[in-house]
Amino acid sequence: MSGWIVQRWLKLDQNQRFLLLTAPVTLFLILFFVVPLIAILVVSFWRTESYQLIVDWNIDNYIDVLTEPSYRVFLLRSIVTALIVSVTCVALAWPIAYFVIRYGGRYKLLLVLGLAVPFLTGIVLRVIALQGVLGPIGLLNLGLMKIGIEPIQALMYTKTATAVGLIYLYLPFVTTAIYLSLLNFNFRLLDAAKVFGAGNFRAFWEITWPLNWVGTVIGFALTFVPSLASAVTPRFLGGANGTLFGLAMGSQFSATGTWSLGAAMGVVLFFVSGITLFTISRIVNLKRSGFTGVGSRD
Amino acid sequence: MDFMSSKSANRIVLGAIVVLAYIFLYVPILHITLASFSRDIVWPYPIRFTWNGYLALMKGSIYHEAFLNSTILGLGTAVISTTLATIAVLSILKYRSRYKPLILFLFLAPLFVADVLLGISTLILNGLFLEIPGNLLSAIFANVVRAFTYAMLIIATQLFRYNWKLDDAAMVFGAGPIRTFFEITLPNIWPALLGAFIVTFILSFNNLDISFYTLGAVPTMPSVAWGSLRFGIKPELYAIAALVNAAVLLCLAVMFVLMRSGTVGFGYKEGRDD
Repeated sequence: MSGWIVQRWLKLDQNQRFLLLTAPVTLFLILFFVVPLIAILVVSFWRTESYQLIVDWNIDNYIDVLTEPSYRVFLLRSIVTALIVSVTCVALAWPIAYFVIRYGGRYKLLLVLGLAVPFLTGIVLRVIALQGVLGPIGLLNLGLMKIGIEPIQALMYTKTATAVGLIYLYLPFVTTAIYLSLLNFNFRLLDAAKVFGAGNFRAFWEITWPLNWVGTVIGFALTFVPSLASAVTPRFLGGANGTLFGLAMGSQFSATGTWSLGAAMGVVLFFVSGITLFTISRIVNLKRSGFTGVGSRD
Repeated sequence: MDFMSSKSANRIVLGAIVVLAYIFLYVPILHITLASFSRDIVWPYPIRFTWNGYLALMKGSIYHEAFLNSTILGLGTAVISTTLATIAVLSILKYRSRYKPLILFLFLAPLFVADVLLGISTLILNGLFLEIPGNLLSAIFANVVRAFTYAMLIIATQLFRYNWKLDDAAMVFGAGPIRTFFEITLPNIWPALLGAFIVTFILSFNNLDISFYTLGAVPTMPSVAWGSLRFGIKPELYAIAALVNAAVLLCLAVMFVLMRSGTVGFGYKEGRDD
């Protein structure tokens, strides 16, 4: 067939093969990701005055973001919310994925796809629907009032509501990550552990959990970072006290027109998410998670 | 997570959680479906039945175009980002290179950049420098940047445990690299690719911020939904959402019947699991 291509390929060493294969992807990212982002980085060092971008190199924006108390509050609130949301998502996704893999049998794929279906409705509609169900005169509270219980106020326009909304949005990503990780997990290892006398909990904690750590961390990251930057959900569900960092940043580009401040906020967000995830990934012990090693040579 | 003593007790406890999760996810869908049939869409309970929403939808509305655009956006992004991500993950996990840390950082970086920034930066690139108006293709590319990292991480979840010696064995028996990929690697990793495809499709189908800035006036489902919030919710929106859900659930029902009768396996083989 294309014998000469294969011959040329086999003559390349590992380094060259790597570069050759990743070249199209790298090119794409540089074109559509790096170049635009440099523009944003540059803008963050400029100034905006009455909706005009003025080329005046300064770091005022960064000083604003890092010292102004309201932005600090937003950032802290966002980090805490994102952490709670991610941990809850992981805690919920694990039993779901485990059930589907263990007891799903031939319907595994179906159960996982079924979880993903609600997402085709779109974030805006689902948040509206969530309001309709959990809101002050929504389905849940109407039902409670019929029975004679007080309606639950905490479900609307509070930080709890934002957290619930975010969990609602990102649950399928974590579930998919853990599902895929468990798919190749060898459950006979658990039987072996039981033979050697481990109890149920110990078997889980020392065998299942570490070997699927990578899937868990990836699922956590896929929830944490977007939650940190989320803007739509807190806008609808958060109420007056629920402003999150992502929302404040978004309004810099739409409402107030201060693009350079928004750009600076974005850069700060980049580093905050990066540092948090880097710290978490340091805890992962690759060998313990069953990593088969890089490359096909020993 | 086999915490209970007996397997059936364990199944019941875990199954309860799954059922609750399903209810949690589907209740708003139910609300939307009921509301699409109701005369009063804001507070539809108790329901007064009407077909108005669907009739208005049939007459043609902006929602048709929005849905079409969103689907094209979603499919384009899913295909491109899954392909790129597969190449990326395979290269990263298979080969050693001194450039790997740098390239890996580049691949992971889009995750940490907020949607708003991606949209705005592409807008600057398109508007100020290239001077092209908002179009679907640039929106697809902008979404691919975001979706690529998601797809890469999801594929890596399954692929990092892959036994590369299988590929070596295939090469020993004379298969070229491309044949090895299609006949050995792909059949083993297709769940990851499917997962990445679905995730990226959903991500770009629903994406508001990136698409908003790169598309300009071209409507997509999220942007018309957003717009309807400001100008009043129309019943057609609920109707089309209910229809989309119904169509997808129908596909799943067909899959269920096929699986039950054993016609299609989707990778499941009898007796392979416990």
